[in-house]
Amino acid sequence: MSAAVRTERLRKEFPMGWFRGRVLALEGLDMEVKRGEVFGLLGPNGSGKSTAMKMILGLLRPTSGKAEVCGFRAGTIAARRQIGFLPENPYFPNFLSGTELVRYYGRLSGMGGAVLEKRIQELMELVRLGGEAGKRPLRTYSKGMLQRVGLAGAMVGDPEILMLDEPTAGVDPAGSREIRDLILELRGRGKTVIFSSHLLEQVEDVADRVIILHRGQKLREGRLEDLLTRKKEWEVNVQGLKEEDRKELRGWLEKRGVQVVREGAPRERLEDYFLRSLPEEKRK
Amino acid sequence: MMGSLRRITAVAGNTFLEAVRQKVFAVLLVFALVLIYGANYFTEFSFQEQFKFLKDLGYASISLTGLLVGLLGASQLIPGEIERRTILTALCRPLRRWEFIAGKYLGLATLLAVMVAIMAIAVGGVLGWKEAQLIAREGSDPAVAAAIQKEARDPRLLQAVLLVEMKLAVVAAVAVFFSTIATSTTFVMAMTLMVYLIGHLESVAREQWLESGEVASWVAKAFLAVVAFLVPDFNLYNLIDEIIAGNAVSWRSTLEVTGYSAVYIAVLLTAASVLFEGRDI
Ligand SMILES: Nc1ncnc2c1ncn2[C@@H]1O[C@H](COP(=O)(O)OP(=O)(O)O)[C@@H](O)[C@H]1O
Ligand SMILES: [Mg+2]
Repeated sequence: MSAAVRTERLRKEFPMGWFRGRVLALEGLDMEVKRGEVFGLLGPNGSGKSTAMKMILGLLRPTSGKAEVCGFRAGTIAARRQIGFLPENPYFPNFLSGTELVRYYGRLSGMGGAVLEKRIQELMELVRLGGEAGKRPLRTYSKGMLQRVGLAGAMVGDPEILMLDEPTAGVDPAGSREIRDLILELRGRGKTVIFSSHLLEQVEDVADRVIILHRGQKLREGRLEDLLTRKKEWEVNVQGLKEEDRKELRGWLEKRGVQVVREGAPRERLEDYFLRSLPEEKRK
Repeated sequence: MMGSLRRITAVAGNTFLEAVRQKVFAVLLVFALVLIYGANYFTEFSFQEQFKFLKDLGYASISLTGLLVGLLGASQLIPGEIERRTILTALCRPLRRWEFIAGKYLGLATLLAVMVAIMAIAVGGVLGWKEAQLIAREGSDPAVAAAIQKEARDPRLLQAVLLVEMKLAVVAAVAVFFSTIATSTTFVMAMTLMVYLIGHLESVAREQWLESGEVASWVAKAFLAVVAFLVPDFNLYNLIDEIIAGNAVSWRSTLEVTGYSAVYIAVLLTAASVLFEGRDI
């Protein structure tokens, strides 16, 4: 079976006007995303993540190189049928309500009738915008709600691949936790998810594999486990260790020639602390 | 084919809905005020003059309103969507670029047609009201009453309405054409307005230049030929003025102009689709 997405030496230069030369946004990217994988495109702002995604969708023309989606040339109708896209900081026609937006996108994907209505219902429930919330105009939505309705819109045609550009940027911790859960849920259903992020810590727990971009170039690629595990170190977290035992433990380690790199009470990430502080029923 | 049609109507429907929700139809209130004010003007003149004035006023305000909505609407269509970036979530779908253009145009053209129809009905209503008013005042003589009725219920006005629709449809197509190469809404409005003006001056200039025999060099001829090819001849729609002046205009020439408009629209939209196809979004 063909890969979900494959690019070969994908390159994009933007002309900057007549005398100002060109900006090199992406420099010969080779990338292969397997089916059913959660794949992260990481890198700081301006590193070429969005450019790569837009070329995979056929919204931008590559300067050279090629991209394929499930074996179809990027930009063809067949290729686009396979992908649902959520752009970075998405803007939606704000005169529509949430449900109307998803319906519009469904029609653009060639759906209609009772099938579409049923699908809309399901999706709005899935992104927790069922009932009244779905009927409100989008201009009254919060950032997190917009992101969720955008996800519903991306999923309406039941595509194999979901491509999410910075899905958690500007969303609060609880909201971004929700989006992460949704990504995992999608993987559970056998979908391929490609997402980008410049906030590196947000992706640790979801991505199977990542590519790290910097100024249009690929810096690193691989499984997160392999990239992030400090293979030479070992960590034990314990509870109830007394002051005198600590001293003894240090002595014991020193005797064996083990170097202590760091020790102390571990600190929780503020994000987790915040989520833990919420009352039980608000956490989910 | 069915799929194309469904997607085109989805885009068109959304475009129309946007106009409705942005309260575009509110400009019709201004139009109505102008008309009602105009209807009570010049009451001391002869009924022929009053009708002529009302028809002129009706035509001018329909044209102006339509032009305004067409220009603003078209510049919002594509450049507006690019500026607001809402276009990304539409064009990433299994939707061809030409289908998007066709849908946008269809939505705008429908909007214009509906507005013109409403305004035309309003003008018809005002003419009827004027008729009743005048007959009550001066229509004791059956011959005069008949003449008043003839002025008020001129069937040629239907031809005029059709021609206005076509004129606005061409303007909208010009705007959509510029939309596909534009990066800003201002550019679209300026270019469309320029084409509109050139389109009015073109045939006048042609006659002046060629018949005066002064600048009949091949350069001038070639230039005029190119302009004539690129810019629709808006003077064709002067038939409307003829109708308002009470002159006979055949259905045949009305339909010829309609055909010319349709061809121009088709050419413009095809060119727009080709240009839009390769554009980076
Ligand atoms: N339409 C454009 N015109 C000119 N330069 C662009 C355009 N889009 C992106 N760029 C440039 O390309 C580079 C990569 O941008 P982008 O792909 O948006 O990065 P990221 O999504 O990783 O933040 C940046 O230097 C950006 O300025
Ligand atoms: Mg980006």
